[in-house]
Amino acid sequence: METVKRLYEAMILVDSGEAAADWEGINEHIKKIFDRGEAEILSMRKWDDRPLAYEIEGKKRGTYILVYFNSPSGSISAIERDMQLSERIVRIIILRGDHITKEDMEKDTPVMMVDKQVQAQVQAKADAQAEAKAQAKLQAEKDGIGQIDIDEIEEENEETDTEIQED
Amino acid sequence: MRSQGFKKSKTNTNRRKKRKDNVREQNQCRFCRSKTKYVDYKDLEVLSKLLTHRGKIFSRKRSGNCAGCQRKVQLAIKRARFIGLLPFTS
Repeated sequence: METVKRLYEAMILVDSGEAAADWEGINEHIKKIFDRGEAEILSMRKWDDRPLAYEIEGKKRGTYILVYFNSPSGSISAIERDMQLSERIVRIIILRGDHITKEDMEKDTPVMMVDKQVQAQVQAKADAQAEAKAQAKLQAEKDGIGQIDIDEIEEENEETDTEIQED
Repeated sequence: MRSQGFKKSKTNTNRRKKRKDNVREQNQCRFCRSKTKYVDYKDLEVLSKLLTHRGKIFSRKRSGNCAGCQRKVQLAIKRARFIGLLPFTS
């Protein structure tokens, strides 16, 4: 008898040190387990890297991986057991995802939100610098002083650029 | 004297009425108002508002949730606790 394929959501907790050292390896490992359970992965990405609310197996930090997959309902228990037996995976939770839409799957994860914020800050800084530069140029043209001032401003900008990189 | 007393009582009732209008109680819980069908265990912003600073779940009376939504919240918090996102106690 053919079992029905359903959409599921899995949250996998792995050690953050190991995830940082061998991210590809862990991904491969998880994919292998899903393949064994005849599951078809729709999306798999890092959800967040954060301190745990309580120590688990002596670990204080963890990396969460969020996976959406289609799978026959019979093989869920096998996937869960394999994950629990794996030494690289600390904890796993698998839930039915009938209510999940495509938009939900593509929603920004906390990691992506932080990245976006940092990018926006850098962009804002760059924009402010460019604006200041343009204004100074205009001012210089008005005053008729010429090249010297603009060169100075460019030097200043380079200095601030290096500061940003150091940050 | 009699008329004064009457006047006083009239203003009092007016004031009471006004207060009632201003502070109308919410007649739906926060999840019913936003028509949420599913409370997500990953949504820590929402869930952490429903916990005491020791990590206990607020009662229905305190959170103002309806019975169904309180059950959804309870399930979500317990899932988040299991996966290490929220504390069992602190």
